[in-house]
Parts: sequence; C-alpha cells; structure tokens
Amino acid sequence: MSADTLQVLASAGKGESTRTILRFIILSLIAGAAIASRLFSVIRKCPLSAGSQLLSWQSRPSRRGQLSGLLRLSAFWAALLTAASFQVSRALFTNVGSPSLSQSCARAERQSRMVADNPLVDPWFNFRATKYLVANGFYKFWDWFDDRTWHPLGRVTGGTLYPGLMVTSGAIYHALRALTIPVDIRNICVLLAPAFSGLTAFAAYLLTNEMTPSPSAGLLAAIFMGIAPGYISRSVAGSYDNEAIAIFLLVFTFFLWIRALKQGSMLWGVLCALFYGYMVASWGGYAFITCLLPLHAFVLICMGRYSTRLYVAYTTWYALGTLASMQIPFVGFLPVKTSEHMPALGIFGFLQLLAFLDYVRSAIPSRQFQTFLWLFAGGTFGLGLAALVVATSAGFIAPWSGRFYSLWDTGYAKIHIPIIASVSEHQPTAWPAFFFDLNMLIWLFPAGVYLCFQNLADEHVFIVVYALFGSYFAGVMVRLMLTLTPVVCVAAAISASSLLDTYLNVKSPNAEEHPADDNTDGKKSGKTGLKSTSKPVVGIYGWLSKGTVAGAMTVYLLLFVMHCTWVTSNAYSSPSVVLASRMPDGSQHIIDDYREAYQWLRQNTKEDAKIMSWWDYGYQIGGMADRPTLVDNNTWNNTHIATVGKAMSSREEVSYPIMRQHEVDYVLVVFGGLLGYSGDDINKFLWMVRIAEGIWPDEVKEREFFTPRGEYRVDGEATETMKNSLMYKMSYYNYNSLFPPGQAQDRVRQSRLPEVGPSLSTIEEAFTSENWIIRIYKVKDLDNFGRDHASAAAFDRGLKKKKAAKKRGPRQLRVD
Amino acid sequence: MRSLVSFVLLLLVAVVSAISTTGNRLLVVLDDVAEKEGYSKFLGDLESRGLTLSIETPKSESLSLFHLGERAYDHVILFPTKAKGLGPSLTANILLQFLGANGNILLTLSSGSATPSALVSLLAELDIQLPADRTGLVVDHFNYDSASAPDTHDVLLLPPPGPLRSDIKDIFSAGAPADQLIAFPHGVGAALGAGELLSPILRAPRTAYSYNPKEQSEAVVDDLFAAGEQLSLVSTFQARNSARFTLVGAAELFQDKWFDAEVKKTGGKAVKTFNQEFAKRVSGWTFQEIGVLRVNWIEHHLNEVGASNESNPKIYRIKNDVTYTISLSEWSWTAWNAFSVPKNDALQLEFSMLSPFHRLPLRLNAKQSTAEQAAYTSSFKLPDQHGIFNFKVNYKRPFLTNIEEKNTVSVRHMAHDEWPRSFVISGAWPWIAGIGATVTGWLAFCALWMYSAPVGGKKESKKTQ
Repeated sequence: MSADTLQVLASAGKGESTRTILRFIILSLIAGAAIASRLFSVIRKCPLSAGSQLLSWQSRPSRRGQLSGLLRLSAFWAALLTAASFQVSRALFTNVGSPSLSQSCARAERQSRMVADNPLVDPWFNFRATKYLVANGFYKFWDWFDDRTWHPLGRVTGGTLYPGLMVTSGAIYHALRALTIPVDIRNICVLLAPAFSGLTAFAAYLLTNEMTPSPSAGLLAAIFMGIAPGYISRSVAGSYDNEAIAIFLLVFTFFLWIRALKQGSMLWGVLCALFYGYMVASWGGYAFITCLLPLHAFVLICMGRYSTRLYVAYTTWYALGTLASMQIPFVGFLPVKTSEHMPALGIFGFLQLLAFLDYVRSAIPSRQFQTFLWLFAGGTFGLGLAALVVATSAGFIAPWSGRFYSLWDTGYAKIHIPIIASVSEHQPTAWPAFFFDLNMLIWLFPAGVYLCFQNLADEHVFIVVYALFGSYFAGVMVRLMLTLTPVVCVAAAISASSLLDTYLNVKSPNAEEHPADDNTDGKKSGKTGLKSTSKPVVGIYGWLSKGTVAGAMTVYLLLFVMHCTWVTSNAYSSPSVVLASRMPDGSQHIIDDYREAYQWLRQNTKEDAKIMSWWDYGYQIGGMADRPTLVDNNTWNNTHIATVGKAMSSREEVSYPIMRQHEVDYVLVVFGGLLGYSGDDINKFLWMVRIAEGIWPDEVKEREFFTPRGEYRVDGEATETMKNSLMYKMSYYNYNSLFPPGQAQDRVRQSRLPEVGPSLSTIEEAFTSENWIIRIYKVKDLDNFGRDHASAAAFDRGLKKKKAAKKRGPRQLRVD
Repeated sequence: MRSLVSFVLLLLVAVVSAISTTGNRLLVVLDDVAEKEGYSKFLGDLESRGLTLSIETPKSESLSLFHLGERAYDHVILFPTKAKGLGPSLTANILLQFLGANGNILLTLSSGSATPSALVSLLAELDIQLPADRTGLVVDHFNYDSASAPDTHDVLLLPPPGPLRSDIKDIFSAGAPADQLIAFPHGVGAALGAGELLSPILRAPRTAYSYNPKEQSEAVVDDLFAAGEQLSLVSTFQARNSARFTLVGAAELFQDKWFDAEVKKTGGKAVKTFNQEFAKRVSGWTFQEIGVLRVNWIEHHLNEVGASNESNPKIYRIKNDVTYTISLSEWSWTAWNAFSVPKNDALQLEFSMLSPFHRLPLRLNAKQSTAEQAAYTSSFKLPDQHGIFNFKVNYKRPFLTNIEEKNTVSVRHMAHDEWPRSFVISGAWPWIAGIGATVTGWLAFCALWMYSAPVGGKKESKKTQ
C-alpha cells in the first residue's frame, strides 16, 4: 500500500528532482526512526534516571521456548538453507548416535549455557578511554600507558586499541564545542551508536541501489537495516562499542567498493580505501573486509570477468587501504606479516600478473602466447607458493592466529584456547538465534540471493560471495551475526521489492506490449544462447492474486516490525548492570548489587587498592569503581588471566602467595546462588580451571573438579579439590548462616549445600551485597608473628596449639 | 610564670619520652609487690633511663593492658609467678594483641616456678618451646659457678655473647671487659623454632643440658629436652611490626644479688659479673632504646641531562636513568645517629615487578648525610620493560627494626615521538635513499611523459584475436 501511495505522490510530483527529494525525505525519516527506536526503548526501560545508567550493556537472555511450532519450522527451513545448515549438519555428523536433531541442538544450547553470559562491558572501557582522550588530547591518548589495569604489567593502551570510536566521539565533541554547543562527552558517547545507526540505514540504501534498478529496494533495505534486531543489539543508546560505528563503515566501504568497481574509478577506489582505513581504526572486524574484497575479486577473475575496472578499483583500494591501515599502532605491520592479510596481498599480485598477461596477449601471436601463459602461470604459482611456505616457516609471516582457526573448527578453541571459547559471544550460533535476530529477513534472504543470480553482474557476485561467507561465519560465532545482518537486509530488500514491484502494480501488463518484449528478448537470447538466462516478461493480471500477495506481504512486514520492537524492548535494551525482575504481583523489582558493590569499593578502599576478579568484571571495576584490576576484558595476556584462574581454583595456601606477589588487596566474586542468577562465577569456574590448566597442567586439573561420575557438583558430593578451591570457599563462605541448619540451598545449581560451610584463613570477608551477588574479600597481610594463616586463625578461634605436632618427629635443629 | 612551668614540663616530657622510641610507660608484673626489692637496682636503672614504672600483681583488679582499645602501657616486664594462671587480664591472646599494637614484652622465667599456661601458649605461638611440664633446669658440669653452686652446677657462667653472625652488629656485649662473665642462675632454657623472627642472644654452652629436677633426679637422662647450643637462654622475637619480645630464662639474672656477685669458675679466679650491663642492654633493646632504625625520607628522581629534577615522580619511561636515595637513622639510648651498615652486610635496593629486575647495593652518600642521618643512594638504568614497578628496600636483620619500604612507580613505554628519527639511524639510509630514488624517478617519468609530444600520424590498429 505504501508503495502505491508513493507512486501516486510521485506522479503528482512529476519529474526526477521531486522524486529525489521525496526519496530523501523518506530516507531521513527512516534514519530518524532507526535512531529513535534505539533511544526510546532504552529510556522507557530505564527506571533509574542516572546518566551513567544509559551507558549500559546487554547480556543476551535465553531465547528458548519463544518460538511457536510453525515459526520453528520456517526458521528451520531458512536456517537449513543458509548458515545454520553448517551448525545443524555438524551436530548431525558428530552426534550420529543421538536420536533426534532437537536433542543435539538442546545439548549445544546446554553447553552454551554453561558458558554463562559474559556481559558486554566494553562500553565502560571505551568511555573511560574517550574521557582520557578529551581530557588529555590526542597525542597523550596515542601514547597512553594505563597503569590501572593488568596490574602490575600495565597496558600500553594507545597501542592496543582501535582508536576510531574514541576519536570520532572526541571529534564530535570538539566540533560541537567549536559551534558553542557545550555537551558532556558522556552524552556523545551514549548517543553515538544510535546516530550512526541512522547513517548505516543510509549506507544500506546506497548499497542496495547499486544492486537493483528498483527504486523501492533501497528504501526497504534502509528500513530493514534500521530495525533488524541483529543490528539493534549493538546500537542501542549506551552501547558505546566499536561495532557502533564499525557496521556503518562496513556497509559504506562495501558501497564504495561496488561503486569503484562498477565505474572503474580511481576516485571511488580512493574513497573506499579511506573508509577502509577508518574501519581499520575502529574495529578488529576489518579483517572481514580485508578478506571479502580479494575474494570477490578472485571469484570475478575465475568467472572470466577480469577487467580494467576491477584492476583499477582493486589496486587503488589495496595500495592506499593497506597504507592507511598500517598507520594504526595496533595493526602496524600485520597487513604484511599475518596470514589473514595474505589473500589481499596475493590477489593484488595476481591482478598485476593478469594485467601484464593482458598486455602481452595484445602484443604477441596467440600460439606463442599459449606456451608463454602456461610457463608463466606455472612458474609464478610455484614460486609464489614456495615463497609463502618458506616465509611462513621462517617466521616472516605469522601463521593463522588461534582466533582464526576457531572459525574453521568450532571445537578448536575449546581445546587450544579456552580463553576465546569462554566468551559467550564466540560460541557457535544456535539456530533459533537466526530467526530471533533477523525474523522474516532470514527467509527473504535466500530469495534475494537467488534474484542476484538471475541478473549476475559484478556487484551481484559480491552479494552472493558476501552472503555465503557472512552466513558461514555467523553460524560459527554468535558475534558475527552482526556482519551477516547488512547483506541479509540488502538481499531481503531486493527480494521484497521485486515481489512488491511485481504485485503492487495497479496497471495490468499490456497484452500488446508483451509480444514486442518477447521479440526483443528472443533476439537477445539468440545472441547469448542460454535460454535460462533470458528473462521472459511476466505480469500479474488477476486482482485476487495481487491482493492476496500484497496483503500477505503487508502482514509479514507488520509482524516483522512487531517482532523487532518486542525483541528490542525485551532483550536488547535492559542495562545488564542493573537486573530487573518481576515480583509475583507484576511490579518491577530492581536488583542493583553491582552498582552497590562498586560504590562500596569506590568509597571504602584505598585509591590504589588492587582488585582481583575474573576478567569479565575488569572493565566494570575500572570504570565504575575506579580501582586497578589484575585482568580485564581486553584479554591480551593469557598467562596473566591463567594466573588469576589458578589463584581462584587452587587451595588457599597456593593462592595466597600468588595474591601476595601480585599485591592483591581485595578479591571480588560474583555469586548467584541466593538469587538464582546464573551468570555467576561458579558457573564460569570451569573456564578458569581450563585456562589455568592450559598454563599449569601439573597443578590445576579440570578432571579433579568433577566427581568420579563426571558431574560438576557443589553440594556435599563435590570433590575435595572443588571444596578447597578459593572460588568455592569465597562463594559459599557464611552462606549457611542465611538458612536454618542443613537447609542451605543453591538456587542456580539447585543443590543442597553441606551443613558445615567452608572456612577461610588467608582472606576475610569485607563486603557482601544485598542479594549476595557480589562478595568482596580482603586479603590478609602476612601474620605479624610469622605463623601460617591457618594456625593463626585457629588460635584466634581459641584452639590450642596441638602438642602432637611437636612430638611427631625429631625436632628441627636451629642453625644460625 | 605558668607558661614557663608548662614549658619546663614540656621540655621534661620531651627529654623523658626521648628515652624509648615507642613510649615510656612500663608495666612491671610481680607475683608480690614486695619482691621488687630484689630487683631494685634493675628497676632503678630503668627508672633512671626515663621509664615510668607501674608495678602490679597478676591478681590485681585494675590490671589491664588496654584502655578503651588503646595500649595502656608501652612495655611490660613479666617476672615469674608462683600462680598457675596469670588471670584474665594477661592471657596469651591479650599479650599477642599487645605485641600486635606495637607493645614490647620482656618475659622472665625461673626454674623455681612452673611457667603459667598462658605464657606457654604465648611462647608456642611465637614458636618457642619450653621443656615439658613447663619447668626445667639448665645445668652445665663444666661452666658453673663454684662459689654458689658447687654441687648443683645450676649457676652457669658464660662469657658475654659475641655477635650472632658476622654481618650483625654486636650490641649486647660490645665493649665488655674480657674477664667478666654473665651469671645465669637457676634458669630455664628454651628451644627456638626455625623462624627468622626469632634470634637468640645468649645460647647455652656446648656442655649444658636441660632436665627436670623433680622427675629426672637420677643421673641418667633418657628423654632430653635439649642440650648444647640448641638451648637458648636469652631469646628475642621481633614481630613483623617490629614489636619486641624477649625471653630471659633466669629472672635471677636481674636480681641485685647477681649484679654485685663475684663468680668463680672451677680453677679460675673470682670475677665480677657482667649482669648489670647485660640486663641494661637486653631491657634497652626490648624497650626500643637501641637497635631502632628510622627511615627519614626516600627520594627518587630522573638522573638525566636536561631532565626536570622533580622529586618522586609517579611515572618514568623505560631505560631512564634514575637515582634513588633513602635516609636512615639509628636510635641508640638518647639520640638519633646516622645508621651505618655493618661491615659484612649490605643495604640493597630492589626494583621489582612480580620479581626483582634489579638488586643493587645502596652506597653511603656523604653529601646528603649528617650526624643524625645517613643517606644511601643508588643510580641505575630502568629495565626495558614497562609496568608498575616498586622501589623496594627490604632490610630485616636480627636486633634491628624491620625496614620494608615500597615506593610504587609506573614505567611507561616509549612515546611515539621519543624514538630516534629515521635519518639518525644509519641502517635506515638505504631505505631513505630508496624513497628518494622512487620519488625522483616518478617525477622524472612524469616530466618525460608530459613533455614528450605524442607521435603524430595514424595509429596502427591492434590485432584482435
């Protein structure tokens, strides 16, 4: 219907310029709506008006049991067609014995539940870094050595972050100041992501317009991009993360690439390289572009579509883009050193060869050219391969990094790099997630890809390649759903618009024009040969079919909007630092333990008191409590994290020297047993053990935390190693006192705890939040009288020193 | 007039409180107040050193080491008591608390009376063991006083102890006349654990042993508690907070009787005892009058040409040259003196992150030293590793106050503009030349291209295949 009115309006307006203006107005309305949807959802859900609250982050809630059977079927169909097919087939192959698919899926979900939700806390760090940038200027920021994280190693922050986000905010801040609009930097940070989502919608419009002549496809793509939950999840207000601007840059870079390729224009190629450089400065996901563009070029070459346009676009992009990317300290020489960047370099070289061959072919006779070609191609290939092998084995080129391997084998990370596997974002995607995040688009998407095949120009090849790889990666890692979303929106918009263009046409096709069209087509097909590539003109004549399809489409679109609204308000817009729950009477109950605990730290500890906690809370502690931490969410040093894991998973006597050595003053644990909060440290504990085991396989053994029957238990039957571990003791210390004797219950693990709780001697309880979610312990100093802490604590409890100890053997003689 | 009086009082207070570095309130716990006559010289000596004595019995109602959570006394002397227990105000726990609050304790024992259980468990916490049944007698059949104990051999005669180790200053017997002996009458020996907080002052001779006169009256001793040098007669314990605790095995050592007595080894001539001076030094050490170290100031700064000489900056850069100086004074009886490190010992500075990156000797800096304080200094180059480092001086020696000083600084990496420029590095010259050649070549090519006229006439059409 809307398209209908559009047409009416357009005809009323007459003329190209009016139409452009109209389109522009609609586009800005869409962008505005995209921004607004991200703001209102948050503000409405945010009962606490404190501004810092807006700087929220999202933990993904479970998505189970929310899909009706019908939707499940359709989602399964779509998933099977696209990315989830990978996941499902893998589950099928690896679990041959399992009776049904649903079971294996359920198991996969259970596994991912064990990982527990790691809240996305990067906004806290980004915000802190932005504040530093604004306060100290760009060069100080560039050389920033942060001595309040990774104690005592410190972090060369300026050289280990992607500065694009902070610099963008800083630039906006200074621009507004120059316009005499005083704005708090926090407001800029909070509102940056929604603002850029509007730009993303615009970029999606531009990209789609390159793909299809249909005027409505771009607008549809902009709408989809604006409200697709897969993208909203990372762009609500307060989600001040790299992805906030990176998705816009991704889509816009792709648009520029297509434009450069279509026109063979060096100017557009340069623009593409510049935005690629901006992307590199903003997000580690730039490698996606670095790999996708050469892949596109390679596919085009293999299809025999090499052209000077491709040569100009690609070489311009690669040369300037690589130089731009090398300006970022964090990237540095990686583009010429690591395997991830080698495809781009290889294709660059390959294109030079092709250009050379093209020239030679025009210069020498064809028979000699054949021989020359074979010799040349074989020689180059052999030389190139040998050079690559030699350079890799000699260490000039770093082999694929672990994070990359985990993209090919989802089980790889769990075995070799538990630190990566422990992040819930890095888990393989559960197939309902596709439907949850993309809804209707997921079944429009394959149709759109099919339509691209129908009219296979260079740019359509790009969509096909992007769709293929995007969906594969989205199936491997939850996080990469984000890179899939743009292509889904574009492809879905193409299919939806072609559907609407066909059916939403008031005029029936003119029967007289038809044979003429057929004639011209016949001529063309006679030339090109293949009948399937020719397009017969089809039209819809019946009003009934028009009405049915248009009506159905309208219903789907409305459902889509409702779904997106629902997902956004329920899943993606509640700040996870404040947990909201419903009381039995339906009123909202706010659980504010995190902020309570961080406030306690801020007010009751020394300015430089070092806090040890699992790395998930590092950025939060740094941002909200302003205290130095041992490890944080920038997981660059696996050994240091493993040290914390070892301290958490060992006996007190082992942990204490580690904590002393690292000058730890307080230990913070998250415990959800009282409230039934499943994202707590006991549920994450196995990852700590695994990561520690990776470094100290002799001292920490995962097996010893399981009962002989292979169960992970916390009740009376837990293993001794488990009961003596610092984490277990800190979690359950004094927990018994809340319950009548013998009734202590852990509501997450659903188990009854032993009657006698653990006792602590090297640390003492300092703070426990209202709902026991955060527990903070103070590390005791060395005993004043040289005793070990256990006996000192025993003495304080009034126990006499056992005399038996004296008589056990011959007394040690004192030598001095 | 009034102000003058208060001024004089203040002066007196200043003079008096200067005697011990931690305070002058001394509690003397005696079984019976009348007993103090026997120790009159020792107590008089203490009083003359400026300590104010309060004499109490364990049974006294008013006896309390703490008042409103603060220490009521600075030092405590416990003389042996006949009672089995010491009562509720002197439990092991309270005494440990007293030590924890920087109070000092001088504990004396005697073989004549069993040690109260509170003291035994206190000693057990400090890793000092007494003979079973809480009593014992140290005898030596070779070094005894033939004048007073010709048969029992339980008055030991010992030469003043030398330094414990070669790197420790001799503070208990320095300057003692060679012929004087310490009389150790009717004492209890203790066995010390291996902890580094314990150190013996006076050890029994190799021929001494400890036995229980009530049970083991027979000549054959089969269950020996300890013998020889493992028996410590006067032992000290210095807690981590530098609170001092001394265990003297024989309370009689402090009695007037043995201050003046003449003792005689078998075959030797009668000599005067060294007891009075020894008692003074032991009590002086325990009450923080000697062997007390103080850190006056610590300073570190950048030691580079053209750098600002800001003191104690929070942050350095890797490979900076820095200088670290620490100023130390030692209190001996009446005044702060410059602390001099014993001859075989070394004062060291650690620059550490997780583990020491540097461990350097600190040398006396005469320029910054005065009679009251000695400045020790060290200059070095920071390691090529960024992080949060500590300047650490960890000087813990027997009989000296523990010194553990930690100054945290951050060491940052090189900023982007602190590297040498490329044209300074000779290795970069070929590459710079390469850049120059490329630029020139490109310009030349452009010039050639632009100024060479296109070939006139018709072009040959290329062959198409």
